[in-house]
Amino acid sequence: MVRFLIPTVAVLLFLLEPEFAMLSPIEVKGQVYYLVPRFLILYLIFISIYYSRQRAVMYGLFFGVLYDVFYIDIIGLYSVLFPLICFLAGSIVKVIHQHLVVTTTISVVLVAILEFILYQFFYLIDFTTIPLSDFLLSRLLPTIIANALFLMILGWAFKYLINARVLQRAREVS
Amino acid sequence: MPQFFFNKKLILLLVGMVFLVALISFSLRERTKATLPEQIIKDTVGVAQSIVAKPANYITGVFNSIDSLLNTYEENKRLKARLEEFAAVQAEASDLKSEIKKFQELTDKSESLKAYDPIHATVIARNPDQWEEKIILDKGSSHGVEKNMAVMTAKGLVGKVTLVTPFTSEVELLYTNNPNYRVSAMVQGDKQAYGLIEGYDKERNELIMKRIDSSLTVKKGQQVVSSGLGGIFPKNVPIGEITEVSTDDFGLTKMAYVKPSADFSILDYVVIAKRSATVIDGSDGNTSNEDLSHPQKGKEGAK
Repeated sequence: MVRFLIPTVAVLLFLLEPEFAMLSPIEVKGQVYYLVPRFLILYLIFISIYYSRQRAVMYGLFFGVLYDVFYIDIIGLYSVLFPLICFLAGSIVKVIHQHLVVTTTISVVLVAILEFILYQFFYLIDFTTIPLSDFLLSRLLPTIIANALFLMILGWAFKYLINARVLQRAREVS
Repeated sequence: MPQFFFNKKLILLLVGMVFLVALISFSLRERTKATLPEQIIKDTVGVAQSIVAKPANYITGVFNSIDSLLNTYEENKRLKARLEEFAAVQAEASDLKSEIKKFQELTDKSESLKAYDPIHATVIARNPDQWEEKIILDKGSSHGVEKNMAVMTAKGLVGKVTLVTPFTSEVELLYTNNPNYRVSAMVQGDKQAYGLIEGYDKERNELIMKRIDSSLTVKKGQQVVSSGLGGIFPKNVPIGEITEVSTDDFGLTKMAYVKPSADFSILDYVVIAKRSATVIDGSDGNTSNEDLSHPQKGKEGAK
């Protein structure tokens, strides 16, 4: 049961992301803010930290390809970035403590890095012309805040789910 | 050198990089059709997405109705004031309609640029990273959707179809930086002024209408609609209202800022307009000037 729950949650988050994207952009006092939901990659980072780096990279590759084909139409962008972020997360966690607060902070920082790389890429191919300061203020900051909120609300649930799976696997092995 | 070839990981990385660059440059090209594996993925994800989209749309619908319920009193007052006006306008409209019909019979010209077959579609997803303004609909080529068709809501034009698979289609919204994205438009008034909607101003959040003849007067507050002369869009689809008029970079033609009438922030149901009149691949499309409804004829014409 728990075995299938992990990929199911990933698929669900993948499908829910665009629904949340429809709520953005929001306008506050004439200033437009973009909130980019990054639920799936946050979840994959958690898998990478608490479960297995290799598994997370595989998931990252699979969903990255789906992401590229379905939404972006530039194949090879997310399908590289997602596994890369998962790999980074799995590598970082080997040197630091696995407390929930620490992992939440790492996840949010990694999402910010992902967002920044994407901005640089789209700037390079002329999809966007907004200057860096605008990007930081109207995109990166609101995105970080929104995703941090999301992780504060659901981070413990992710951890609980993944731990359940780890325990189950340990039982199977023994 | 030998230890280089033994380093399998490095070679794998290099091959991967080359493959990646090739893939990105392949998919960045202007493509008219998705490849077969892409179509399969798009359709499968599209089906799953439309299942999720239904309850999500329902929830946003509930919030919208609560929102409109709160404004009911204000709105009712305003609407009542306009009701009397409406009766007079309706009488005039039916009068004009019958007159047009009579004239059409007289001139034996029944085909109008205004006529279109609506295809109703549900928005199943919006590009989550929001760099390209794109939405995905649950109707595709099997429902009669074709590339470059106009997409609109009840309030006005929102964009055009850029990519079609059998069960989904992708729409590029009017808010785009794509320099090849043009919509032939006209300003309504005593004397119609024609121009092109080209690009949008990020700071003002408004569309830019360019190439308006400088001898014509366009004023703030005038309505802008699609002209139907671009070849693909139907005529008289509302686009927005002019908020400012100025001259363009070279001072030869005028340009105007247009505030779009459609609400882009929450799109759930849209209409794809399939024009009834002959479709020509004009400035709304790929500007190849090919006659899409009679491909043979179009080629002969080109000779």
